[in-house]
Amino acid sequence: MGARCMFEISAPATPGYNEWTDSGGQTRSHYAAIADAAASLGPLELTERWGRANRQVSLDAFTFYLDPRRYRPTPADWVPRVIPADHWEVISAGVAQRLKALNLFLLDLYSGTQDVVPDEVMYTSYYFYPEVQGFRPPRDVFVHIYGIDLVHLGEGRYVVLEDNLRIPSGITYQVKAVDMVSNHVPEFGAGYDVVPYDIRQAYHDMFRSLCGTDSPVCVLLTDGRYGSAFFEHRYLSELLGIPLVEGADLYVGYDGRVYARTLDSDIPVDLIYRRVEDLEMFVPNLREAYLDNKVVLVNGLGSGAADDKLVFMWVPRMIQRYLGETAILDQAPSFNLSDPDSRRHVLENLDNLVIKARQGYGGIGVYVMPDLGPGDRTRVAHHILQNPEAFIAQETLDFSNHMVFNDQSGQLEPRYIDLRVFAIQDGNGNVTVFPGGLTRVALSGGRITNNSSGGLCKPTWVVRHPFQ
Amino acid sequence: MQADLGGSPPLSIGPGALTASYLYVVRYGYSDTVLHNDNQLRIFPRDGGGSGTGAGYRAEGQTVLHSQLWTLPPGRGVAFRDRFGNSVQRYRIVEHHTSLIVAAAGLVNLASEPPVAGDAGLEEVRRLPEAFEFTSISPLVDPDSVAALAQEVSGGSDSLLEVVRRVVRWVHEEVLYLRGATNVTTTAVQVAEVMEGVCQDKSHLALGMLRSLGVPCRYLSGLLTGQTGETHSWLEFLHPEHGWLGADPTRGVLMPPARDYVRFGVGRDYTDVSPVSGSFLSRGESEDCAAIAEVRFSDSEFTLEYALELLEDAYVVKNG
Repeated sequence: MGARCMFEISAPATPGYNEWTDSGGQTRSHYAAIADAAASLGPLELTERWGRANRQVSLDAFTFYLDPRRYRPTPADWVPRVIPADHWEVISAGVAQRLKALNLFLLDLYSGTQDVVPDEVMYTSYYFYPEVQGFRPPRDVFVHIYGIDLVHLGEGRYVVLEDNLRIPSGITYQVKAVDMVSNHVPEFGAGYDVVPYDIRQAYHDMFRSLCGTDSPVCVLLTDGRYGSAFFEHRYLSELLGIPLVEGADLYVGYDGRVYARTLDSDIPVDLIYRRVEDLEMFVPNLREAYLDNKVVLVNGLGSGAADDKLVFMWVPRMIQRYLGETAILDQAPSFNLSDPDSRRHVLENLDNLVIKARQGYGGIGVYVMPDLGPGDRTRVAHHILQNPEAFIAQETLDFSNHMVFNDQSGQLEPRYIDLRVFAIQDGNGNVTVFPGGLTRVALSGGRITNNSSGGLCKPTWVVRHPFQ
Repeated sequence: MQADLGGSPPLSIGPGALTASYLYVVRYGYSDTVLHNDNQLRIFPRDGGGSGTGAGYRAEGQTVLHSQLWTLPPGRGVAFRDRFGNSVQRYRIVEHHTSLIVAAAGLVNLASEPPVAGDAGLEEVRRLPEAFEFTSISPLVDPDSVAALAQEVSGGSDSLLEVVRRVVRWVHEEVLYLRGATNVTTTAVQVAEVMEGVCQDKSHLALGMLRSLGVPCRYLSGLLTGQTGETHSWLEFLHPEHGWLGADPTRGVLMPPARDYVRFGVGRDYTDVSPVSGSFLSRGESEDCAAIAEVRFSDSEFTLEYALELLEDAYVVKNG
């Protein structure tokens, strides 16, 4: 066991729970096998494997673009994150509960009857669409695919930071990262019983239940190869076996149905798994076709109203109201800055808070006050006073760290990590939560993990019997 | 497209109340097709008879009898009250268009007697709970930036009414009313530098000066009665016993009667109560904008046909 010492750890630079080592600096038992494998491979071999894996990422065009003009392989770390099965049971139940409540909320909202979220919050949300009022989506599902951002505070306590209900991205990064580690560092997997899942089957079951037919014609609508997540669109279309289309490949016919142009003839489309928000920009009259029940949209139009960062505050109340349950997962305590008392409280306690732009995404417009200098803090306070409705405040959480292998120094380095979990809801109200998720790793010295902000991704396993 | 927004049954708001018929219409022209146009509209009178709660929710002396909204092309909207208690429509037009017309009309009852209020001390108003919201910095009004000027103009008086009177009179007399010198993004301190502007600029400067002295005050957007022209803006300051009282630095008037205005919205500055604010999706840009308003003492409502006629004569602002 002394061999584990070969795997040197640079001094922890970040406070909070470390998932890899305990407070005494010992490797936690469910990482012992990975640590042993790493030790017996040795730093040189690991560096070699990292290089090979990263070349493969590049060759596979496994990309996440920050700037469409620059080819950018997804940065990744291949030391797996292990989520014990008992943690996963809680996460999975909490995610399913939240997805159901959010969907019921959207049905209530667009029926014009909701009174959980104050009108002045709901109706100022950018992604609330008045034209959807009175519309019921097929099989009463607005949110088919759900991405939820969690952080781990330690000992199985996972806290929700954000809900993503419009076009959540990243599920293929989850799949691809796990594939990559089993291909390039298979030694890590020895002795772990990783819970498997089948995305293709689950998506197809969902598509069928929504369309009410056995073989619906489904397409994946992309914003094109210059979009940040184009890799995901391409990979998903291969994985699911459905055509990848751009806006110009679709049109709305005289009968109001949506057609896909093919070389032979034009085929009526039953379902569009859309990865674009502004439908009209891509396919004229698609919105009318949808609101006329001529086509299924995944996710439904207007679902973004419930992933507004301010609306987030009321999700525990949605769970209470629509399911009669208490929220299984806690969420980051948040403040509505439009309320003068909350605003004053936030300004007086600014140093301990995270300020997020309400319309931001991907970590853009997120200010972690403890990590900012005094000048920047003053500037943020100024913005809050000037435009309180444009921001929300959340308590700063000391969430978990994990280890990243630095192939320059041959050492492990602690970094903040989060977890984006994906779930789908089918037309019969059944929710599937895909085991694991996409672990995102912050840049050195930071807490922002989003890939849009330069974060790394990490393979994530849910393990049934981790302690061997 | 016509949305009938209803209104309260007529309420008695004292002897001498007058019925005013108002109209506001605006046209936006775009250089290319707009795919959707999503806005918050604040062109509806605040209600004195509403059931809202909270300080300053009611518009004293103003009762809405009826209000309606038209847009060309038509869209869909939802009505709500914002955090200042203003009546707002979130309105989204998804029919493709290259120009957009929004018109609002209706009837209000307005009290004709001016409010009467005794004096109060500045120390007292500074302690009011509304002071935090209505003396803090806002996008166009930074009280600190005009604090020295305010100190000089107020002459160190401790009387609420005296301070408001001095500031409002000073802005009325010293800032030249001039169109074109400023725009909708001009800040209070910029007005103090150029000493020129329109009603909005005069209001911003007076608000900044009063706030720097600790007087909670708010921006008003609405229409002047008995005339045809543009929208108007003035302010209200908070009195510990009488609530929000008006003051108009453009007209040089303190505590005017309700009958002088149709009040649309209140906020910290123009950015909170802009008549139409939002975004549109298009390859092109907004090219021009023309707005006009009219208020008559009458109980017959303006029609859309009349609104379109009026628009023909409106002052057109070229973008850029």
